[in-house]
Amino acid sequence: MRDLWIVASYTIKDMLKKKTFIISNLVIFLIIIVGFNVPNILNMFNEDESSENGSALLSKTLIVDEKNIFEGSLETLNTMNLGTQFEITNEEISIDDVKNKIVNGDVDDAIIINESDNKVNVEYIVENMAMMNNEVPEKVTNMLTSAYTNLQISKLGLTQEQLASLTPNFTFELQQAEEQEVKGNILVIMLLSLVLFYAIYFCAYQVSNSITTEKTSKIMETLVTSTSPRTIVLGKTIGIGVVGLLQVIAIVAVALICAYACLPEGMLSSALDLSQITPTLGILTVVYFILGYATYALLYALTGSTVSKPEDVQSANGPVAIISIIGFYLAYFTMMNPTSDLNVFASIFPFSAPFCMPFRVMMGIATPGQIAISIIVLLLTIVIVASVSIKIYSNAILNYGSRVSLKDMINMYKHGS
Amino acid sequence: MGLKVEHVNKTYGTKKVVNDISFEIDKPSVYGLLGTNGAGKTTTIRMILGILKKDSGEISWNGKEVKRKNVNFGYLPEERGVYPKTKIYDQMMYFAELKGMKKEKAIESLKYWANRLEVEQYINMTPEKLSKGNQQKIQFITAIIHDPELIVLDEPFSGLDPVNTELLKNVIIELIRNGKYIIMSSHQMHSIEEFCSDVLILNKGETVLKGNLKEIKEQYNANRVSLSTIENVDKYIKELGLEIYNSKDNDYIINISGEEDGYKLINKLIENKVKVEKFEIMKPSLNDIFIEKVGEAK
Repeated sequence: MRDLWIVASYTIKDMLKKKTFIISNLVIFLIIIVGFNVPNILNMFNEDESSENGSALLSKTLIVDEKNIFEGSLETLNTMNLGTQFEITNEEISIDDVKNKIVNGDVDDAIIINESDNKVNVEYIVENMAMMNNEVPEKVTNMLTSAYTNLQISKLGLTQEQLASLTPNFTFELQQAEEQEVKGNILVIMLLSLVLFYAIYFCAYQVSNSITTEKTSKIMETLVTSTSPRTIVLGKTIGIGVVGLLQVIAIVAVALICAYACLPEGMLSSALDLSQITPTLGILTVVYFILGYATYALLYALTGSTVSKPEDVQSANGPVAIISIIGFYLAYFTMMNPTSDLNVFASIFPFSAPFCMPFRVMMGIATPGQIAISIIVLLLTIVIVASVSIKIYSNAILNYGSRVSLKDMINMYKHGS
Repeated sequence: MGLKVEHVNKTYGTKKVVNDISFEIDKPSVYGLLGTNGAGKTTTIRMILGILKKDSGEISWNGKEVKRKNVNFGYLPEERGVYPKTKIYDQMMYFAELKGMKKEKAIESLKYWANRLEVEQYINMTPEKLSKGNQQKIQFITAIIHDPELIVLDEPFSGLDPVNTELLKNVIIELIRNGKYIIMSSHQMHSIEEFCSDVLILNKGETVLKGNLKEIKEQYNANRVSLSTIENVDKYIKELGLEIYNSKDNDYIINISGEEDGYKLINKLIENKVKVEKFEIMKPSLNDIFIEKVGEAK
């Protein structure tokens, strides 16, 4: 136990002192701070414009109604809160001039209304058609159709009641057939799952790196005569895990502080259902991080101990990388349909559970029974992986030269000391 | 008291790497483990230290099975290794603590040995900045910092310059004086001859020679004469029918088949009034015995 603590604390100190560790963390913090300030930075640049034109975030559309077909009624569009500021003119402007205005950034897009043979032609000009699907957006056609209809109706001289009966008075509501209610924005949750996956994956990968470094620097023999292989594997796993966890907590803390301090009001709550972020979720996420990390770290300890040259690390780690990617995508894609059986399976299957269960909890669809089963399955997996890894590690670490093959590994496990 | 290795065997797959090896160190001294590359020395050492499982046989220290917790041992592996990017002080303290030392005691011991091996100016540096020889001295300190009873040195002199070799030799003498049991494996026969009272020669896992070095040598007849003269004496040597093994500037090494040949040679030189600067009848060196034994086995 004393040795375990010595190995773990040495690993922690060694990692924290590394320049690469310090610099990469500073870079991550900087990216987070800058990332959350993007809206503020954009606002700063647009401040001058916005003081002249109202809000900087509104796009600007030029409408050229040369023949005054809409009889001035288009001005009402500016009162309709469509997210666009309309500049309406009855003057004659050549199409090239209009295009120039768009290219120069004076306006974002333009609508040119014309009439020939009693038919109204509308041309919608955008900067680039690539995103348009070769169609004029419905928003534009609806807007103009409804403005034109309103103009014509107003000419009919209808009474208020008649007018009111023409205007539909619908209320729209979205409902689902399944009983379980999914809370939160799935896309944001999938993004968080990706973050958790990378956090677990990279922390676990460090274990493999650390072991191979000890083998390549030939310090292994001194180390195994100083303490048991089990202590080395577990101490290292704990040490790197503690640093990884602290790192993740620091990153999340910086991100949360930035989110509250820097993001425009309402943006955070629109992305995440904040009522779902509870201390229980926090604790469960930490638990799943630890369990997921331990599973993958011990697998990496196994592969790391089978190589003695740094150039072999990549290929030896391949199988673990594949398992982790399968685990992650199983969690990630089934999360698009969180109430499916496959997602329940993903939240219990040990190699995908760490990337899945915390988010099922966040969406409010995980039952306590499922959580308990998934934690038990993970713990059992860790015990099995640990015993196999330690056994193979003990035998493989003194093997220098060529990589240990799968056959050798099976022999080591069978006859291992 | 001491280390006892009895009938130890080890097989890798179908290859027998150590076959029925036995020896004993019963007093503070250096025991020499010799052998060609791949003879089974490192495997034997690893089994003694308990980092490799033996197939059969017994290894005991003071009557107890050799295990990390039963024996306080120090080990300088043949594969030299240090953490290249970790401060020397930090890694030494790490190993000292793993071997059960208290921090204050470890610092004291580190200071003593760093001073003794003339590396104290480096202990706050990282090993990647040091020469190979200095890295080796650092690793040597790692092996003995915790004052072990049993010390295993696998090729301790390889890679050291003459000055540092001398320094290390003095340290080893100091360790023996302090009652340490040392097993030393080396290819450098003269260093083994200098330190070891007992030796074991391994070839392909088999013991080809074992015992007290002096007693072993006594079994051999004189086989060479070392001679230095003022003038060329080739003709006298040839007249006696002796073979010159090597000669340079009137310094000769001459093969003989017994002490008698030596006496005949010196008498002949005196008769002819040759001025002799040096004359020595030599017994085979450990190097000769090693080559003969390993050659025989082949």
